[in-house]
Amino acid sequence: MAEKKIRLRLDKLTKIYHTPEGEFEAVHEVSLEVQDREFLVLLGPGHCGKTVLLNMIAGLEAPSSGSFYLDEKEVRGSHGAVGMVFQKTGLMPWKTVMQNVELGPKMAGEDKKTRRERAKKYIDLVGLSGFENSYPSQLSGGMKQRVGIARAYTNNPEILLMDEPFGALDAQTRYAMEDELIRIWEQEKRTIIFVTNNIEEAAYLGDRIVLFSECPARVKEIYEIDLPRPRNNVDPNFLHIRQVIAANTDLAL
Amino acid sequence: MKQRNLFLEILYAVLPAVSIACLLVLWMGVSGNRPDLIPTPAETWSRFADTFDKPIMRLSFFGHILASLRRVMTALLISWSAGILFGILIGWSRTGKSVFGSIFNMLRPIPPLAWIPLITIWFGIGETPKILIVVIGSIVPVIVNTQSGMERVEQLYLDVGTVFHANSRQLLFEIAVPSALPTILAGIKTSISTGWMVVLAAEMLGAKSGVGFLITRGMDSGDTALVLVAMIAIGIVGALLAVFISFVERMICPWLRKK
Repeated sequence: MAEKKIRLRLDKLTKIYHTPEGEFEAVHEVSLEVQDREFLVLLGPGHCGKTVLLNMIAGLEAPSSGSFYLDEKEVRGSHGAVGMVFQKTGLMPWKTVMQNVELGPKMAGEDKKTRRERAKKYIDLVGLSGFENSYPSQLSGGMKQRVGIARAYTNNPEILLMDEPFGALDAQTRYAMEDELIRIWEQEKRTIIFVTNNIEEAAYLGDRIVLFSECPARVKEIYEIDLPRPRNNVDPNFLHIRQVIAANTDLAL
Repeated sequence: MKQRNLFLEILYAVLPAVSIACLLVLWMGVSGNRPDLIPTPAETWSRFADTFDKPIMRLSFFGHILASLRRVMTALLISWSAGILFGILIGWSRTGKSVFGSIFNMLRPIPPLAWIPLITIWFGIGETPKILIVVIGSIVPVIVNTQSGMERVEQLYLDVGTVFHANSRQLLFEIAVPSALPTILAGIKTSISTGWMVVLAAEMLGAKSGVGFLITRGMDSGDTALVLVAMIAIGIVGALLAVFISFVERMICPWLRKK
């Protein structure tokens, strides 16, 4: 088997907030290696700094200490190779689906024709053909998150960060979106770092699952899931993995 | 259920006419019993018709409305463009806020009419001082709303901008300004009514044309019918302006349209 290429390496990333009530540590010395084109799931209870970790990788927050490396080069601030799908979608209500999706290349100053062609490709890929001129307020929750995914892909990121993207969806839509995401990922292989607090979702999606502890977030265990896809969430092997992880998870109070 | 909805629809369509009719009846009742308090609707109407045969100060009735309208619109165009720019400056830039914010907060509570003596000394009694006073009055809501809209841009949208590498100009024009647009438009709506209020007052204090002048003229000559004609005209023009601005709002902010 070929040596796996390391895409992203986190080295003792720590985030401490200084609040009037004293110091609050959200992330404690997280070191991780993310391989090229893998689907990595960050799993942890409640509010334990997974989002903070993701925001640091996205360049939205500066780490208090530690550093991270993209292809062995140290990164500071937001980086073109990193894309993000937000939990609350972050679609701009004043932009149509097309205008939202073409945001990245538009900011980069790409000409209208090229960027629209690429945006159209991903709008089609997430199954929203015909909705290009709709406004987000006219879409359902699942459709909005599809737009968010198309927007991230259109910016051609090498690493895609997803912060509990399906957290706000009902169970049925959530299952459908998980299948959809796997289909898109298999078609357009990118490295994905996916944050969730749902064990079943983690086991269904991930190549590897990084389990975090309760606050501050630190790496507790890393699981390799080598079940074939599409996975069956009532398969005995699947249920076994689920149980093992569940037994090791801190309870979020 | 459907039947009931239809009934309600008709009711809601008819009610405005009913309430205006009630107001008219009330007016007729009061003016019939106490003609010293208010002229009758018929007298008011004939006074309105008279203004076309006998111009006041060489201007027809519509000439006066146009004169006021021209002042208000000139002033509003100035306060919209200057007010939005200044509001963005103090709402978006921290430097802008710390340099101009306190000056604005001190000037803001001064009623526009308090400026009249100074402005008369500076600019005399032509059109410029009147327009200037209307600008002073109507720019305040535009600035206040623009500022608060710009200060309250959701962090999430700015984060999205950062992740997608918007530069500071793009953050401002692609994200902050459009997200503040509904608030800015609300300020513009307020500025229209403030503008009318101030232009009336400015005209009443010294002008040879305009609706405010008509009211002063009516008061000085005991011509209450003329005063009423002017008042009704102001009401109608104001309502038309409000309709026009909602239309503009729907054009500029299509995402706010009710589905």
